[in-house]
Amino acid sequence: MGYLTAILILGGINIIATLGVAILTGYTGLFTIGHAGFMALGGYMSAILVKELHVPFPIALLIGGTFAGLCSFIIGYPAFRSRLRGDYFAIATLGFSEAIRLILNNTKTLGPINLGGAFGYMNIPSHTNVWVVLFTLFLALLFAHMFVTSHYGKNCIAVAQDEVAAQMMGVNLLKTKLIALFISAFYAGVAGGLLGFYFAYLSPSFFTITKSSDLLAAVVFGGIQSLIGPFVTAFVLVAVPEVLRALAEWRLIIYGFLFVIVMIFRPQGLLGYVEMNLNFARLLWQKWFGRKLAEG
Amino acid sequence: MELFLQQLVSGVSIGAIYSLLAVGYALVYSVYNFTNWAFDAFMAFGAFAAFTAILWLFLPFWLAMLISIVLTIVLSVGVEKLAYSTLRRRKAPRLFMMISAMGVNLAIVNIINKIFGGTFRKFPIESVQPVFLGGVSIGRMDLIAGVISFGVLALLWLFLYRTKWGLGIRASAIDILTASLMGINNDAVAVIIFTITGVLSSVAGVFYGIKYAVYPMMGIVTIKAMIASIVGGLGSLPAAILGSMLLGVLETLVSGYISSSYRDLFSFLFLIVILLFFPNGLMGKSGEEKL
Repeated sequence: MGYLTAILILGGINIIATLGVAILTGYTGLFTIGHAGFMALGGYMSAILVKELHVPFPIALLIGGTFAGLCSFIIGYPAFRSRLRGDYFAIATLGFSEAIRLILNNTKTLGPINLGGAFGYMNIPSHTNVWVVLFTLFLALLFAHMFVTSHYGKNCIAVAQDEVAAQMMGVNLLKTKLIALFISAFYAGVAGGLLGFYFAYLSPSFFTITKSSDLLAAVVFGGIQSLIGPFVTAFVLVAVPEVLRALAEWRLIIYGFLFVIVMIFRPQGLLGYVEMNLNFARLLWQKWFGRKLAEG
Repeated sequence: MELFLQQLVSGVSIGAIYSLLAVGYALVYSVYNFTNWAFDAFMAFGAFAAFTAILWLFLPFWLAMLISIVLTIVLSVGVEKLAYSTLRRRKAPRLFMMISAMGVNLAIVNIINKIFGGTFRKFPIESVQPVFLGGVSIGRMDLIAGVISFGVLALLWLFLYRTKWGLGIRASAIDILTASLMGINNDAVAVIIFTITGVLSSVAGVFYGIKYAVYPMMGIVTIKAMIASIVGGLGSLPAAILGSMLLGVLETLVSGYISSSYRDLFSFLFLIVILLFFPNGLMGKSGEEKL
């Protein structure tokens, strides 16, 4: 049971971070390979707040997420203002997350706080359990759904499809991109916080480029412009390596080949452009029970 | 002062390696409008090919370098044929090309990691006496790396601007469809471009491996090439080279006078500062991103 709970918790945390990447990459079309950096920022911030300043846990999570979101403007504003094209923005995010990791690796103490440098920040109170994760996940999914179906979400989709056309229709490119980036960094920050409160310690080695590629992989496999696709794949990508330990070393090699194969045979991803709603449930209901009723 | 000059020379030689990488990205981007993310994997592959040839086959350095170049060309063209050409023919959005390239990158880097392990290795080449130029000692490998890198860049320039094939590539960079209507063979252009990519990444990989270390994730240094080309200004070869030189010198000065663990932090801060004050880079003019 404990094992299953662990998979549920880690899977849930991964889904929260992936939803953030889905909003940025899937909906707004901005590539990121540096979300691990935002996870680290949010994680350390909320852990410090709870451990050193005794802030209540949920508020600390929110502040941690907001902090990650605000830090994202450090790269977001200059990059979007100078219309850095997508690939270079991805590089900027990667550089940012590597810089965060370097700083954390080399920061032994921050004033009176012992951050531990490369050894990690120890003795964080353990607050994350399966119910906390599931509740946060529910809120995250609800908010993400509300966001992408809102006016702002439609702006994001427009920007992803054609920037020039979107601008001509009166979409403020800078603002739209910054909002998407803020929200996605916020999600990553909250996920990082949950991770810290689950393991009871945080180490810079959690937040490497591998973590960022995992998040991106979930969105690519799950599908562009979809929340439910990345939701499913983010969980599967955590659960499958846990169950099949023998494959763990081959994971990234297999991901790599899958990227290429998926792009050749099903480029929109598993559930690309499938909106999350309850229509599929209604259709299923009609398919299974409607027919029975008709037959009966 | 002597220390400063030494750092300067070292910076220029690392800048030369960055220029090779930056030019390799620019070449693919200018024609196909996507960033060849597999490039850093090619670089690690090239370095490991030379490493293996020297260590296991006991070949001399120049032969190993040649083998590395040939193998990297084969890999580069092979990736083009297997992963990119289908997407290219289908005129897939460049997002898909990017993802595909990232996949190639993940696969190659992790295969290398699986075979050799993730440890840092010293490139197996005996250390040679530094050259003394008016009291300044210059690492001989730094000198060779700089000279060969500039040589390769000069050859590339001659090829692009003084040959018929180069003209074909430049025409494809402007408009690949019109170029093919004028009788330029798109597939041949692709093979030439990815051959050049293979050469550039192999040379950069070997010299970077000699300067620092050989390890599977060494391709992460291509971030620096990207930073350099943004700093210089997207769009032209000279700008990419200028940016690379500046970044190389800045980095060696930071690791010489401040701390080598903060080197990457400074290059990243440099990027943000440049973007804030020169949104188009130092030499950039417009959003046009062509060679």
